[in-house]
Amino acid sequence: MGDLYRERIVAPEELSAVLDEAMRDALPLGCYATKRTVRTLLLSSLGVLALRTSMREGEEWESLAFRYPFFADHEREMRALQGIELRSSPDIRPLYFRSDAIPEAIVANGKGVSVVVVGPVHAGIIEPGRFTMSTGGESVVHLDAQLSYSHRALEPWFEGQHALALVPKIARICGNCSVARSWAYARAIEGLAGVELDAGTEFARLILAEMERLHVHLFDLGNIAAGAGYGKGTTAALGLRERINQLNRAVSGHRLLFDSIVPGGVSAGTLSDPASARAILREIREDVVRFLDAFFAKRSVLRRLEGAGIVEESLARRFGAVGPSARASGIACDVRALAPYGAYRGFSFAEVLTHQGDVYARTEVRRREIEHSFDLLERALRELEDASLPMPLPIAAPSGIITTVVEGARGAESLSLSLDGEGRVERLHVISAAYRNWPLVTRAMEGNIVPDFPLVNKSFNLCYSCVDR
Amino acid sequence: MAQRRFARSLAIRHLVCGSCNGCELEMNALAAPQYDISQEGWSIVASPRHADLITVTGPMTEAMRLAARRTLDAAAEPALVVAVGDCASGEGAWCGAGSAGAGAGVELNASIVVRGCPPTPDALREGLRAAATLLDERNS
Repeated sequence: MGDLYRERIVAPEELSAVLDEAMRDALPLGCYATKRTVRTLLLSSLGVLALRTSMREGEEWESLAFRYPFFADHEREMRALQGIELRSSPDIRPLYFRSDAIPEAIVANGKGVSVVVVGPVHAGIIEPGRFTMSTGGESVVHLDAQLSYSHRALEPWFEGQHALALVPKIARICGNCSVARSWAYARAIEGLAGVELDAGTEFARLILAEMERLHVHLFDLGNIAAGAGYGKGTTAALGLRERINQLNRAVSGHRLLFDSIVPGGVSAGTLSDPASARAILREIREDVVRFLDAFFAKRSVLRRLEGAGIVEESLARRFGAVGPSARASGIACDVRALAPYGAYRGFSFAEVLTHQGDVYARTEVRRREIEHSFDLLERALRELEDASLPMPLPIAAPSGIITTVVEGARGAESLSLSLDGEGRVERLHVISAAYRNWPLVTRAMEGNIVPDFPLVNKSFNLCYSCVDR
Repeated sequence: MAQRRFARSLAIRHLVCGSCNGCELEMNALAAPQYDISQEGWSIVASPRHADLITVTGPMTEAMRLAARRTLDAAAEPALVVAVGDCASGEGAWCGAGSAGAGAGVELNASIVVRGCPPTPDALREGLRAAATLLDERNS
């Protein structure tokens, strides 16, 4: 069964009403433009639906961001890269900039308001972003997050290149969601080429994706511990993550699993010894469970997490939030359950949901997803013991348009690909889970104290590179 | 005495110039108990003014160029620049792609280059040891 992708033509003036209807039972993924055609993407159990809206020459785009805030950055991106003019917009600042013309932050005005700025270069080992906090006393009144410092204009650069030549590049758009994106890209190419994979290869891909989730989630927990001043927890989580990274290297040749999923299969030599991987994972799992039990027994730490950085469900919905950040606010959005792909189709899947929407809830979702990943890995590795993985299938020149979605550690990772008759890229667009969720970080900080910014921020722990591209 | 005791310690400031975050994941691994760079007398510091060396990653972006230069200018002499990863070294996936630069370490005249996409923690440790040796030589 291939990936289901459908398009529906919608006039600009009808888009808002059509979206209202479609969003009742589908997850909005965002939108993107190719020249003057805008595609708004939705995901449901039926697959991906693209609402295709064509703009006439000289016609301006009526912003939908007032109604659906998740459109705001997409619209700024369409203006910056495709030159589509916006008739109205809640944020008219340029999305991309040179370092001598950085947009001014939006700050609060009023008696007693003072402004704290951090970044773009940070004290820790993290990606660049400038955070401007308007504060009243200790509380944050407004947080302005200026991203785009990692913008490299990659998408225009992809155009005209052969899709298969870009495979190692796609794995490097972002280090945190490399496997998820490589999988989405492979599925896009396979979908366009009409290639079906064997069961063993699908299990191998699921294993690689769950290994990525494990090392990212463990790192996130270590960072949350750091934000709460729980040093022992940080060290323990880093140690456990390192063991996953070493296992990654053993099963794929790469500590972060880069280049392990390729169009047509998985790279040669991947998962050559599933039995020993399973044995090592069991050992790691015992220690991870011990770490999680200790973490969740520390009342003084948990008290720091509870009630911090609350995201209400309605807010998360309006912003089209995805991944653990949305599930912690009670929104079912796990692509593995909503629109299963690959070997997830064969596994019954209970999505992890909590409802408080605070740092604690986001931590709890990860805890349960880690346990869930170990279960999936155990089953999939057992399946692989009786299978031998074939070499990647050859792909004949694919052509056409498709969007595929994979559940990465941060949530839905979408990839839209349009190829000409010779397999060259006409358009390659990435909507990362972090792109969806960044606005939540700024809202979650409102009313919280400045010293909690690292804690609240790390409870999302969003990437920048796949957002900025 | 002080020279001998502290000579090989390093205060490291990390500067990200458009990396994919893979190098950052591995730089962070250096704090894991398996590597624990604090045992080497190395620490990640919160200001370039405290730094002996600046580790840089990424191909360099238009938006980061000025902030990167200012970070280097703020560091006390003789601060070393260490290029971490293939992008910073000028050979990575994104060097020269789109609006990306030729490599942050190339643009900022790195004295030490640590290759890898990303470099392993072991490779990073080797590179940092080489940097400590170089700083020793310059200070003696």
